[in-house]
Amino acid sequence: MKKIILSLVVAVAFSAGTAEIPVRPEKLKFPKLQYEPPSGAKYRVQLKSGPVVFVVPNRELPLVSVSIMVRTGQYNEPKGKAGVAGMTGYLLGKGGTKSRTAEELEERLAFLAAGLSSSVGATSGGVGVNTLSKDLDEGLAILREVLTTPRFQKSRFDLYQQQQLQGMKQRNDDSKNIERRELLRLAYGPNFFRNVIPTKTSMKSITVEDLRAFHQAWFHPENFVVAVSGDFDRKTMVAKLETLFAKWPFKGKAAVSVPTNKRFAKPGIYVVDKDVNQGRVDIMLPGIHRDHPDFYAVQVMNDILGGGGFTSRITNRVRSDEGLAYSAYSYMPGGTYYPLLFVAGYQSKSATVQYAAQIVLEEMRRITVEAVTDKEMVTAKSSYIQTFPQTFETKGKVAATFANEEFTGRGARNPAYYKEFRAKMAAVTKADVQRVAKKYLTPNKVVILIVGDKDMILKGHPDHPVNLDSLARGGLKNVPLRDPFTLQPLK
Amino acid sequence: MRILLGLFLFPALLIAQQVPVKEHFLANGMKVLLVERHDAPSISGGWVARVGSVNERPGITGIAHLFEHMMFKGTPTLGTKDYKKDLEIMAEQERVRDLMRTEDRKMRAMWRRGEITDLFDPEQKTKRWRELNDEFKKLVDAHRKVIVKNEFDRIYTSNGGSKMNAYTTYDHTAYFISVPSNKLELFMWMESGRLLEPVFREFYAERDVVFEERRMRTESTPLGKFSESFNSLFWESHPYGWPVIGWPSDIPAISKADADEFYATFYVPENLTLVLVGDFKSKEALAMAQKYFGRLKRGKKTVPDVITMEMPQKAEKRFYAEAETNPNVDIYWHTPAFGHKDTYALSVLSKILTGNTGRLKKELVLKSKLSTDTFAWTRGMHYAGQFNAGGEVADGKDPAAVETAIHAVIEKLKTEPVPAKELQKVKNNFAAAEYRRLTSNHPIMMQIIRNEGTGDWRELNTAGAKLQAVTPTDIQRVANKYFTKENRAVAIYTRKPGTGGGGDEDPLLAGLSGQQKAMARKVISSVNSEKDLAVLKSRLKQLEAQLEEAGAKAPPIMKVIRAALRKRIGELEK
Repeated sequence: MKKIILSLVVAVAFSAGTAEIPVRPEKLKFPKLQYEPPSGAKYRVQLKSGPVVFVVPNRELPLVSVSIMVRTGQYNEPKGKAGVAGMTGYLLGKGGTKSRTAEELEERLAFLAAGLSSSVGATSGGVGVNTLSKDLDEGLAILREVLTTPRFQKSRFDLYQQQQLQGMKQRNDDSKNIERRELLRLAYGPNFFRNVIPTKTSMKSITVEDLRAFHQAWFHPENFVVAVSGDFDRKTMVAKLETLFAKWPFKGKAAVSVPTNKRFAKPGIYVVDKDVNQGRVDIMLPGIHRDHPDFYAVQVMNDILGGGGFTSRITNRVRSDEGLAYSAYSYMPGGTYYPLLFVAGYQSKSATVQYAAQIVLEEMRRITVEAVTDKEMVTAKSSYIQTFPQTFETKGKVAATFANEEFTGRGARNPAYYKEFRAKMAAVTKADVQRVAKKYLTPNKVVILIVGDKDMILKGHPDHPVNLDSLARGGLKNVPLRDPFTLQPLK
Repeated sequence: MRILLGLFLFPALLIAQQVPVKEHFLANGMKVLLVERHDAPSISGGWVARVGSVNERPGITGIAHLFEHMMFKGTPTLGTKDYKKDLEIMAEQERVRDLMRTEDRKMRAMWRRGEITDLFDPEQKTKRWRELNDEFKKLVDAHRKVIVKNEFDRIYTSNGGSKMNAYTTYDHTAYFISVPSNKLELFMWMESGRLLEPVFREFYAERDVVFEERRMRTESTPLGKFSESFNSLFWESHPYGWPVIGWPSDIPAISKADADEFYATFYVPENLTLVLVGDFKSKEALAMAQKYFGRLKRGKKTVPDVITMEMPQKAEKRFYAEAETNPNVDIYWHTPAFGHKDTYALSVLSKILTGNTGRLKKELVLKSKLSTDTFAWTRGMHYAGQFNAGGEVADGKDPAAVETAIHAVIEKLKTEPVPAKELQKVKNNFAAAEYRRLTSNHPIMMQIIRNEGTGDWRELNTAGAKLQAVTPTDIQRVANKYFTKENRAVAIYTRKPGTGGGGDEDPLLAGLSGQQKAMARKVISSVNSEKDLAVLKSRLKQLEAQLEEAGAKAPPIMKVIRAALRKRIGELEK
């Protein structure tokens, strides 16, 4: 091993010295790069007090980060109480504890220059503390207080509620927010938990007792997975964590699985009329689960089509060739709990919204009927393979990545995921790419969302006439703006 | 150092954590900054040109940013199948574009006389312009046959390059990427190649991309166009007054000749700094930098400085806008440039105001409840600085009250010294941030680039001690010096009538303009706090008489107040 490294150094030194500079970069010779990802098992500890923790020491800087993932989410909100998950998450850290008011807690954390975070999102909760290592014990004590005896102080409760209600008023201000909201509704159906978002009524119905109930149901060690990294010694840290989670004062519920009852919209062109000079467009199709065997081929296919930035077809045609958009892309990530989406999107001036859609759809069709080129395959696959080490580039990322694997269950289902990732990516063939393109990029299911100046968009561009019916089945559908407080259609 | 921390808990925080940068110069004057870190097998590399929109002039605003886009178009060997043909077509394109520019000039004259109304409308262009445009399109099609699309990106991507991007600010332009550690020489080849001989292919299509970028960032967002306008109001004589992305009139008028001149003036080695952070050996990296970047030739002239200074402001400036946003207040003050001795006290002062325990939140959000959210920040740019504070107005409150409250918080800083513990809290956070900034390659590189592009990378390592040295007296002094009425510009945003929809707002207020609404809210709140039925009844009587007199011309606000009075009387009579 040592010998190899030595010879590499010599090669580098040589090429940097006397050799001519080649006219093309392909002529450059690069030393080999050996890289093996770390193994999660090395850092994994099952605490007696409940949680699985990943403990990754790093003595470089006098900092410690403790981050707790909680098995709960928006999907656990009681009916009519949309907003309770987010509010509980926010006020855990911002509403004080039994022994300290919110103000006292904030003042102490600020003096220690420590960060305390708490939140509940769609499918997970998180509470964490980041302190200088000299303050670790105090940081952990605060974390325990926050997790076990939150105060949910009334003044902070009222403030948060007011901020949320006032924030709702801005729901139709930015076309980007309208786009995000309607995209999720079309993708998963209005009744899917991700689309049951706070209304004025639901927000106003929430009480401090609701927060307490939500907190006590889900925030207990059986539901925690923990990532710890920084300036400590492993053994000492494990002992501290055992204490942190021991003798929990309440017994909560067992975690429930994330719902999957989503419904993709009927084909059509869905238009929200908004007075802006640039239309925002999403061309959507049902997506894929990350555990699906097609996952790797789908990633390569999407990268070539629109996921790879300037090396991808959609960016090349819509942006570089035609100058129709600053940003034109596609994405098709693997879902953790349920299949997500394929989306090809861009923003273009009203007159060229339709023309750009035609180009994107043309590219979506072409990749199903023509094999991609060797060059495209090499670019997409090498990019995934060679950027892979970044997954673990810091000790914080090592701890967080493995904690996430544990939390989502893939760590148990497929412990070799990271070890095999590059080989699986390398094995994808051109035929695989075309096969998955055909399987997932199905024109008859296409749903197009457009947010922008409807009349100007439909008028189109004199140089580039487009037949609307050629873009998607199902025709044009008007989507009204929604009342920002009730989310009911506005007249 | 960790041992020290254990021993002296608190004072140890004052030990500055340096970013271990090694500075070198190549023979041609180019600066090279190296930070070796061997945590992961990758290198974050980039370079910064000390040129931004501040170096432009009216007529070519936006050129620094357009240039940033053009730097990805390739070199004589990257991006084309046939460089000779490539050059021929581009020369031909310039010939046609010159003729089109003559037409543009005619059309501007026609526009001034009112003969055409919209210079951007394709249907209002002259016949000659449209003929030339058709000719130009043919040349674009011909050019496509010899162009190899985005080859610059493809080479990097297929070699594991990631996070490739660039940005332009008022003062500097930066280009950066992360590569696997065995690809350092590729980085050197690519970056020195595009600096040595950039080829501005697809110059004119890229202007359309920039226009879409402008629509996306500035024109189609709720506040974009207003903040652009407010910024221009704030800077009076200084080139910071025009937007980095450029004025819409200028972006299409920039020629390739302008770009060539810009490149020759500013993209010269003595005006560039190369930054590498990550897994390499400094000695080898430096030798490679000399081999590749050493090829760049010094400029023919000294890189020009910006001479025009901001005129001291003579009077307070005020800006009122109705926008699709919740009402908010935004205040700018002029402050000194990057590295000025007062910037440290101003930075500390900004932190006294902000954050969870900052004074603005305590006063405006928690105590008086005038605001739902507040902010403050300051920055020293290369030639001048600014301080910004503001907040969102709570429902039913008056923006004027929020503004007054912000001024009151600042007034207190002028007259009363900041207590020792509060100051220490802020300093502790500056000290801890010195550690937190050091966790991974890419952010370290970006900080070096930002400091170097704005003034000097050394600021990263020297600012810490200066921040720790700030005293309560310093804060009082800078507060008195900069936070004067004459030195500020105030923007008041109110909600554009008819937006923010929904049935929430007091239905009485529907249909009133933003200003009237604020006024009506005040009156309604005084009506609702009145407990004397007789007073209310007499006011109602008066108002009804006035309404009758005014007839159809009665301003709608009067009816709103009448309704409020009737409602309140009804409540009290229950």
